[in-house]
Amino acid sequence: MDDVFSADPEVAVDLRAVDWAATPLGPVPGWPQSLRTAVSILLSSKFPMWMAWGPQLTFFCNAAYRRDTLGHKYPWALGRPANQVWAEIWNDIGPRIDTVLATGQATWDEALLLFLERSGYQEETYHTFSYSPLRDESGAAVGMLCVVSEDTTRVVSERRMATLRDLGSDPSVVRTQQETLAFAARQLDRNQRDLPFTLIYLTDGGTARLAGTTGIPDGHPVAVSAIPLDGPEPVWPAALSVAEPQLVDLSQPRFAGLPAGAWPSPPAQALLIPLLRQGGAPYGFLVAGLNRYRPFDDGYRSFMELVAGHVATGIASARSYQAQQRRAEELAELDRAKTVFFSNISHEFRTPLTLIMGPIDDLRRRPDTDPATREELDVIHRNGLRLGKLVNSLLDFSRLEAGRMQASYEPVDLAAVTAELASVFRSAVEKAGLRLSVDCPPLDRPVYIDRGMWEKVILNLLSNALKFTFAGSVGVSVGSDDQHAIVSVTDTGIGVAAEQIPRLFERFHRIENARSRSNEGSGIGLALVQELVGLHGGTITAHSVEGEGTTFTICIPFGHGHLPSGAIVAATSAAALSAAAEPYVQEALRWVPDQGSRDLISPGDQETPLFGPSLAKPASVLIADDNADMRAYLARLLTGAGYQVSTVDDGRQALDEARARTPELVISDVMMPRLDGLQLLTALRADPRTEAVPVILLSARAGQEASIEGLQAGADDYLVKPFAAAELLARVRASIELARTRNHHARWRTALINSLQEAFFVCDDNGAVVEINTAFTDILGFGPEGLPYEPKHPWWPDADAEAAAHREVATAFDTLMQNAQGSYTIPVVHRSGHRVWVNATFNKAQDPDSGRTVTVGTFRDVTAEHYAIQRDTAMAALNMRLSQAPDLAQAGAGALAELQRLWHATETWGVVFRPGAPPSVSTAHGRPADWEQLAESHRDAITSLRDGPNLTAAVAGGDSAGIRLEHPHGIMVVWLDLGPHRRFTEHDRLLLSLLAGSLAQGLTRAHQIDQQRETALALQRAILGPAQLPHGFAVRYEPAATPLEIGGDWYDTIALPDGRIGIVVGDCVGRGLSAAAVMGQLRSACRALLLQDPSPARTLMTMDHFAAATPGAMCTTVFCGVLDLQTGQLTYASAGHPPGIIAHRDGRTDVLHGGRSLPLAVRPGAPRSQAEHTMPARATMMLYTDGLIERRRRPLDEGIETATTTLHQGRDIDIDQLAAHVMDQLTPAGGFDDDVAFLLYRHPGPLRMTFPAEAGQLAPVRSALRDWLRRCALPTQFTQGVLLAAGEACANAIEHGHRGNPGEPIQLRAEAYADRLRLVVADSGRWKNPTVNPDRGRGVGLMRAMMQHVTIDSSSAGTTVDMHTRIPE
Amino acid sequence: MTTTPLTISSALKPDGTTALTVRGEIDMSNTVVLADAIGSAPGRVLLDFAAVEYLDSAGLAVLFAHADRIELVTNSVLGPVLRISGLTELVTVRELPPDGGV
Repeated sequence: MDDVFSADPEVAVDLRAVDWAATPLGPVPGWPQSLRTAVSILLSSKFPMWMAWGPQLTFFCNAAYRRDTLGHKYPWALGRPANQVWAEIWNDIGPRIDTVLATGQATWDEALLLFLERSGYQEETYHTFSYSPLRDESGAAVGMLCVVSEDTTRVVSERRMATLRDLGSDPSVVRTQQETLAFAARQLDRNQRDLPFTLIYLTDGGTARLAGTTGIPDGHPVAVSAIPLDGPEPVWPAALSVAEPQLVDLSQPRFAGLPAGAWPSPPAQALLIPLLRQGGAPYGFLVAGLNRYRPFDDGYRSFMELVAGHVATGIASARSYQAQQRRAEELAELDRAKTVFFSNISHEFRTPLTLIMGPIDDLRRRPDTDPATREELDVIHRNGLRLGKLVNSLLDFSRLEAGRMQASYEPVDLAAVTAELASVFRSAVEKAGLRLSVDCPPLDRPVYIDRGMWEKVILNLLSNALKFTFAGSVGVSVGSDDQHAIVSVTDTGIGVAAEQIPRLFERFHRIENARSRSNEGSGIGLALVQELVGLHGGTITAHSVEGEGTTFTICIPFGHGHLPSGAIVAATSAAALSAAAEPYVQEALRWVPDQGSRDLISPGDQETPLFGPSLAKPASVLIADDNADMRAYLARLLTGAGYQVSTVDDGRQALDEARARTPELVISDVMMPRLDGLQLLTALRADPRTEAVPVILLSARAGQEASIEGLQAGADDYLVKPFAAAELLARVRASIELARTRNHHARWRTALINSLQEAFFVCDDNGAVVEINTAFTDILGFGPEGLPYEPKHPWWPDADAEAAAHREVATAFDTLMQNAQGSYTIPVVHRSGHRVWVNATFNKAQDPDSGRTVTVGTFRDVTAEHYAIQRDTAMAALNMRLSQAPDLAQAGAGALAELQRLWHATETWGVVFRPGAPPSVSTAHGRPADWEQLAESHRDAITSLRDGPNLTAAVAGGDSAGIRLEHPHGIMVVWLDLGPHRRFTEHDRLLLSLLAGSLAQGLTRAHQIDQQRETALALQRAILGPAQLPHGFAVRYEPAATPLEIGGDWYDTIALPDGRIGIVVGDCVGRGLSAAAVMGQLRSACRALLLQDPSPARTLMTMDHFAAATPGAMCTTVFCGVLDLQTGQLTYASAGHPPGIIAHRDGRTDVLHGGRSLPLAVRPGAPRSQAEHTMPARATMMLYTDGLIERRRRPLDEGIETATTTLHQGRDIDIDQLAAHVMDQLTPAGGFDDDVAFLLYRHPGPLRMTFPAEAGQLAPVRSALRDWLRRCALPTQFTQGVLLAAGEACANAIEHGHRGNPGEPIQLRAEAYADRLRLVVADSGRWKNPTVNPDRGRGVGLMRAMMQHVTIDSSSAGTTVDMHTRIPE
Repeated sequence: MTTTPLTISSALKPDGTTALTVRGEIDMSNTVVLADAIGSAPGRVLLDFAAVEYLDSAGLAVLFAHADRIELVTNSVLGPVLRISGLTELVTVRELPPDGGV
């Protein structure tokens, strides 16, 4: 029996269990159709919905709403007042519902925060919903329907995302720990919803110290500044924090008075989460109060972990930055201390050294010194020299530091001086098995140098070259450019690793583990050289290739403008080489072994990689080389260094391998078969999966151009064969570290982008989508594996099946390509085929690497929103159509047209099945159609819908859809032909159901209105005026057009006992049946009063009292007159009624302004006057209600003017035709706004006589006609002619028409217009041919002579003579 | 059968002419009376229609029937019908001015 619930059997069980009789709605069988319709729609929908109906807003919901929102309140909520069901949010939603009910306007709320208690606690939830009014049969809003979608996850995720984004948005690269924590705290403080309060503790020894707070005031009892880790009963269980995050129950008394953050109540739980340090004990922990209005679920937990992770990372980088800073400062300090120390002691060394060296020299020269002793003495001498040299260097430094270096710059032949210094080293160099090449051509101008300093520069460089060169040569060359002398010292030694070069000139810096002729060295030689060159205003640079050699290049400016003028001296004679050279040479000679070279690098050293990967985890390296030996060598080298190596033979395999298992580094030869190194590089860079992988290219081609080509192609590094193993390893490590650093950002960026709730995409300048995030895949179903997506993208709607949608997307795509930024909402197709509406926003950006313009966009799924708006719009449009339709038929046609428009249907039919009648078919064009003409497949589908359930949309054949609904005349099936390939989605079904529900209600309403109106109209016409009007009168009544409704206007004529005619035209306020009822009473009262006392003024005065006592009669306007039809004498009074108009035959007009006073019952008892007016012959009077002449935005006078003109126009037509003419002329385009009544009278009224066909009747007929003609004020001769014509016609009728049946009736009618007169004589017989009887023929001749137009129409039914003529003036 | 009011007074003039003074209206209901009056008068007949208010084709028919021996005095009201019917071409008709008529 409860058919109303059958749409959802599951919920139906619970709905049937409700004791409806106890609710204001009463037992189900008594429910109105409108309620049943609403419930059917609700239950059949797959979208979460609830509705409320009736005085207590009784609650209903469907299964989807139960699942998503109602929670444990189901089924308790069913049948309860909505304000009980949603008591906790009634303050929010109650006013909205009131508005909907009061105004009938739907509401729309997006992501409204509501605290629901559906899971046993107050829950923070966000809902997007619309409230639409539900109407009963009378059209009144008696309930509301809520379509809702929950946004909680989206809103909460977005909020958390924002916090994570803010945390990662620190613009400064390095900062102190304090600054880092302050920055983090500011970001955390901005999200007091997820983080009502936070405390950051950092562990310091055995104590955790408070380092930052948010949302909690300083000094709060739980914000203790220090917690001993092993102390008893700490506020926060700090000791436990080393391991896992843990929840803290805040219900204990010590947590009383916690701040609540953005919420009304403080958190019930806090999370204590360690701030993890890589490979060590945590830095400390973060305590965060948890939002009590959200469950602590996985999402919340991972958010907290990300927050803590971020804080920990910040601490780590701040600390590491601080450590580096400190180290740098310490080193600088140490340098200074060393210098000071050494220079202090050096000075003290010189004296004892002199005293040692002098005697030793003497002893060595003595001839009696035995060879063994001499050898010992030589050792002492050499080391004394070394010590002296060292001491001198330190003293030089100390002078330099103190600015006390005494320099004397003199112009010298630099080439000669330098060559001489080089020659000093010749023996040592040659002894070492090396070649010394000296290339010092004379320069064209002198160079200013301090000879002593220059010696130290060259000797240090030569000594250094010899020390690190084991084969090849050492070279010295002098040259120049325009402004500089250029001196180079070159060796073919072991070279210096690239990363060491910047530190080469650092004081006390020695290159560790470098193979050299001696482990000796103070690390100050090159530093001193640099200082000394600097004093000359010159520069020194080092260029070195490991394994190939090193070149030091000195540039000294020509001239002396750059030197202090006080230090310039004249050229001295080429002084002998100073003694300073000796210690250098002596030292160098000691390095040169007499017994072959020693293997300075132990095998063990070789096992340990020089520049091994101090990387936290082993990196995977892909090697591509076509040379097997090279592959094996590289693999051995890198494996030994701890890398995970895979090798391939060519670029093609490398690309496949890299795509399958992305390596951390690719080392590739440039020259390879199939795909060479540069092509491989290009392919890797083009693929988003591999574009970030660093690539090192190896090539046999030396030269800068080759490496530039490689680097331009995007290689991270470039090595030319042969290369040193150490250099390769160093570069491999550097590349991987750099990539890891870079990828940390990339990983963070990827995580950030992927955690966006909004879909994210990047388009290249061709419109191809090259990057997406997971939300993109979630919304559209297309994943990163299909990248890039070239336009037209696979989510575009089909160009044929969905041409309109396709155009929309194409237009949006053009916008995307052409504009710098913008947004649009478009329909797209999910990979699985269903329709998704997205709202996208995009911006153009410059790819910083490639310089190409890319488009970065985000979009969100607005499908639910789109359909909700579409539903509201469609419902509004349909209801508009329904409410505007004047009757049931037009309501149906209008609705079909609306449905057709909405779905762009090719054809729309409405088929009504009326019991016992053939199906009646109508179309959206309003044309009826023939059921039998419909295709058989359509008829079958429609019939099966007819036999199915109500309001359940069905799709047939993929290209049509239909639905059954109740129609006032039976069952209606609405059928839409959608055209081929048009998809009819679940949303369409819902919409069609909703619209059909609305349509059913609308049709019922229209039908009821039809019936009411018909009844009312019949009633009104019945009580409006007399059925029989006196001759000469015409009346019209027209109800208002929109809404087509009757009103309170009336007219009346009353035959008074004295032969005069009472005339009443009135207009009572209001519309509808009530106004009609009041009108009826007033009309009757007025009629009775006039009959009793034919005085218009007195009648209206009595009417005042009557109207005062009659509800709704107040302010009725009435024209009341008494007319003598014989004389045209009119006595009248007007109760606030518009003035009557009298149009004279000569074109003049009288307006009946007399006898005016207030509308009825405004001043009961006040006297009223009346006025007299005589209607001249052949004038026309019009009395009317204001609806006839009143128009919006037009003065009343203008209306009266128009009406007068219309009357004059109709001066020569019959009074009934004149009434039609007036209606024609005065009806506005859209019909009358108000109802209209008017009354016309032309004086005198027409003469109508019926008399028996007897000759004796002629005289009295003539007499009456003569009398009437006199009243028409016609000229005498004319009157006589008319009398004669009428007499002849009557005589004919008597003589011929009724020859066989004397006494049959003859009718005569005479009517006068302003300028014309008409006579009609009719009998029921047949005339003879007029030519037969010359006398009667003479009669016809006379008629024709007297009247301008005579027609004699003779048929078996009788003969009518119709004559008319102009009236001469 | 009622008839239209018509009175005819007859007088014999010295010249032998019969003078018929007619009052009232002449239509098909009483032409017989007029016809009898004219028919019964010997010789020429002078018809005084100054007081005839109406004359229709039936009356005219009587006049046409005796056209050769009648003479007519008429009023302005009847003038048009007598002219239109062509009677004035056959019969001497004297029309009194309006004032002297009805």
